[in-house]
Amino acid sequence: MGMDRRTFIAAGLAATLAPRGAAAQMSDHEKSIYEAAKKEGELTWYIAHYTSETAERFGRTFTEKYPGVKVNVVRTTAQVAFQRLSQDIQSNVPNCDVFATTDIGHCVSLKQRGLLMSYRPQGVDQISPIFRDVDKDGQFHTTSATFVSILHNTNKVKAEDAPKTWKGLLDPKWINQVSVGHPGFSGFVGIWTVQMKKLYGWSYFETLAKHKPQIGRSIIDTVTMLTSGERIVAAGPGGLAYLQASRGNPVGVIIPEEGAVLMSSPTSIMKNTRRPNAAKLFAEFLHSREAGAIVVDEYGSPLRDDIEPRPGVLKVNQMKLIQPSVDEIVKGIPECIEQWRDTFGI
Amino acid sequence: MVDIRADSAAAIPSSPPARNRDLRPKRTFDPMIILWIVLALLLLFLIVNPLLRLIVDSFRQVNGSELTFANYISAFSRARHIQAVINTLWMASFASLIAASMAVPLAWAVSRTDMPGRDLAHASVIAAFIIPTFLGAIGWMLLAGPNAGWLNKIWVGIFGTATGPFNLFSFWGLCFVVGIYAFPLIYVFTRSALDLISTEMEEAAAVHGAGTLRTMMKVTLPLALPAILGAFILVFLETMALYGTPALIAIPARYNVATTQLATFFEHPIRVEVAAAFSMPLIGVTILLLWVQRLLLSNRSYVSVSGKGGDRRIIRLGPWKWMLAGYALFISLVTVLLPLIVLLHCAFAKAWGRGASLSNFTLDNFYHIFFEQMTVRQSMWNTFSYAAVTATFCCAFGFGVAYIVQRRLLPFTSVLAFLALSPVIIPGIVLAICFYAAYAGAPFYLYGTSAIIIIAFITRFMPIAFVTVGTGIRSINPELEEAVRILGGNRLMVLRRVVGPLLKKTLLGAWILTFVLATRELSTAVFLSGPETRVISVLTLDLSEQGRYEILAAMGVVLLFVTTAVVLAGMRVLGRDFMLRRT
Repeated sequence: MGMDRRTFIAAGLAATLAPRGAAAQMSDHEKSIYEAAKKEGELTWYIAHYTSETAERFGRTFTEKYPGVKVNVVRTTAQVAFQRLSQDIQSNVPNCDVFATTDIGHCVSLKQRGLLMSYRPQGVDQISPIFRDVDKDGQFHTTSATFVSILHNTNKVKAEDAPKTWKGLLDPKWINQVSVGHPGFSGFVGIWTVQMKKLYGWSYFETLAKHKPQIGRSIIDTVTMLTSGERIVAAGPGGLAYLQASRGNPVGVIIPEEGAVLMSSPTSIMKNTRRPNAAKLFAEFLHSREAGAIVVDEYGSPLRDDIEPRPGVLKVNQMKLIQPSVDEIVKGIPECIEQWRDTFGI
Repeated sequence: MVDIRADSAAAIPSSPPARNRDLRPKRTFDPMIILWIVLALLLLFLIVNPLLRLIVDSFRQVNGSELTFANYISAFSRARHIQAVINTLWMASFASLIAASMAVPLAWAVSRTDMPGRDLAHASVIAAFIIPTFLGAIGWMLLAGPNAGWLNKIWVGIFGTATGPFNLFSFWGLCFVVGIYAFPLIYVFTRSALDLISTEMEEAAAVHGAGTLRTMMKVTLPLALPAILGAFILVFLETMALYGTPALIAIPARYNVATTQLATFFEHPIRVEVAAAFSMPLIGVTILLLWVQRLLLSNRSYVSVSGKGGDRRIIRLGPWKWMLAGYALFISLVTVLLPLIVLLHCAFAKAWGRGASLSNFTLDNFYHIFFEQMTVRQSMWNTFSYAAVTATFCCAFGFGVAYIVQRRLLPFTSVLAFLALSPVIIPGIVLAICFYAAYAGAPFYLYGTSAIIIIAFITRFMPIAFVTVGTGIRSINPELEEAVRILGGNRLMVLRRVVGPLLKKTLLGAWILTFVLATRELSTAVFLSGPETRVISVLTLDLSEQGRYEILAAMGVVLLFVTTAVVLAGMRVLGRDFMLRRT
């Protein structure tokens, strides 16, 4: 779509200013849960989709749109979020109201144990059909979509010299130069690991281990490693790389020939939530135009078809994408974490 | 300082002078018995129950009730898990050696020689003690990252090599960072031992023709050796139980240690029982080493360590003093100055990788943590309020127990004393598992509350408060109190009018010490904090996953600002040495 920068910013402004008049435009459903949510006053959001800055921005924007309802943002990697949630469950303490992970296996496991609430936000109808209704019972919904691809430090590696394929990341010239996350922490890295194993078998990681990559915990850390010049190529999140590049940092994105790995991440409402209305309202918000505007502003890929990403940011349907199936993820991530620990020693 | 373990050896067997017995109440029922029961129950709640739960859980089926050895099998049947324990022992050994190689010469130089800048060297040890280990680790990640680290960049700039020589993300990098933030403990012990050794023997050696170096090696060091070894053991135990630095450095270094391994047992499905089984060797090593340490320190048959000091002659080093001063400067550079400079730069930088320039300067990071990221503000408030409550309670409780023990007011006081000191056998991260097992779920349901973190902190730091206050009480002559009693005053009046005022400074010192330690505690908090009860250390660990060091550095600067202010205020009231004093 031909949207120049000025119109784009104007659209963004319109979206952020919208809350002022929002009360008038609220649907009856929205109004009634907002009234009830105000009495609950707050909600706690375990969030692994975004960086802590972006997650806090979601929280602030939500409170601006719905004054009187505060969001406690708990941003960690997916596996740490799930560890904390499991501790909550084991101690029978309903700390978490809305759980947003990047490892869909978490939601499947929680659903099997009957710990999730069935709720279909109205906004689900607004998102692109490929992301709609991942769970037939409406216990989790896709709230974020981005991709993991090859990233490089543009000062130290020209785009033409950077690896073009996932296999190319194993070229000996990248010994001591690769940055990756850890599947025992990051859900994105978990899914990426499952996908690489599916493509090339576990020997992919045995070779990678010999090349001594820098192993962070979150996949976000790979971008920091590139911008600081600590490492020069990485398997990292595309959206964040675009954002950092826009701030003048030397990061470039390369879509590998095999395809970038699609990360569609789910959100659930916990069944034992103490603030069901605030949680529902927040679930509605995650599919709203305001939430989409934040995603776009941070160089992410919006889920809604009626919101365009920033110029230069690829829409997820504009690139070659690969993704393991839900079953492969559910079964694959725990296996891969164990194998990873054996192979990398950590 | 964290010197309780050494003093515990002295504190337990110390039988008070016989005249104290006169103070013992002669009535058949003393209302003090109620206080005893309350204290004993509290100790039961804080120490005995969690520890028992840990031991019982280690034999309990995962999420079941049957007794089993399966947890030990799951904990130790993987080569990787055993390797983690071995790695920990290596890391702790080398880190302690690094700490000792810094602390011993420095302590000797400050205590005995005419090295210039002794006061500054001492002040820099205090500063190193205030810096939380995880913050120092972040500073060093920015300094010695293999490619982007400042030191490596400077090296490459000067020598034109392709890469710099330093790689923090390695076994040696890990040992180095752990060691340089553990050295103040050895320094304190060594220095106080050296302060107590009379120089007469050194002079005798000198008269018989030994040079300075020979005297030091043959006379001074052997005399101080038990204290040094004792401190070495304490540092070994402290470093063995660290979680933050390994999480930051050992993961990228691909080096698994026991604490990072323990953390993996908390992944879904949570296996606290296996974690409990895995903790046992850590507790075993701790008990064994504390026993060795006690043997070392109680066998002080050296008459020369008289405690009286005698005449102290300053050793004139001649030109060597400059070399020693250089070493002291090096120590203060690596422990305090370099990490602090790089953290300050980072806290005020847009992107730390861009280096120091005006265009890279910003206040946004501080704006962000104070006004945008609500969780940071809350965690700062949590950190300081939990630390204050912990310190207050530890001091009150430590005072109560220490007074009763010292004055033998109640029967079985030695049991009370033993209990109050017993948390030292539990490494911080294991203590968290104890508390998680005992109080997170039914019937207490304390998980996610501030209470569980505060009581864990209290348990962890009570021995320090107990020993510090106990030492203060020992120095008060009971005659003063007897006088009040003879003149008809009751025990309460004794406490209010005599003991309280005399102990004011001791209590304040203990309060500040516990406060500072609690603000930097990570291992104990990491499995106990819920979404609204995170402290700065836990939040730092969470945020460090993403590598946004600018925000972390800004948080660290605020934390250091507050603790430094508290310590400086303490120094004004209590004198320069209150933080780093052994007795």
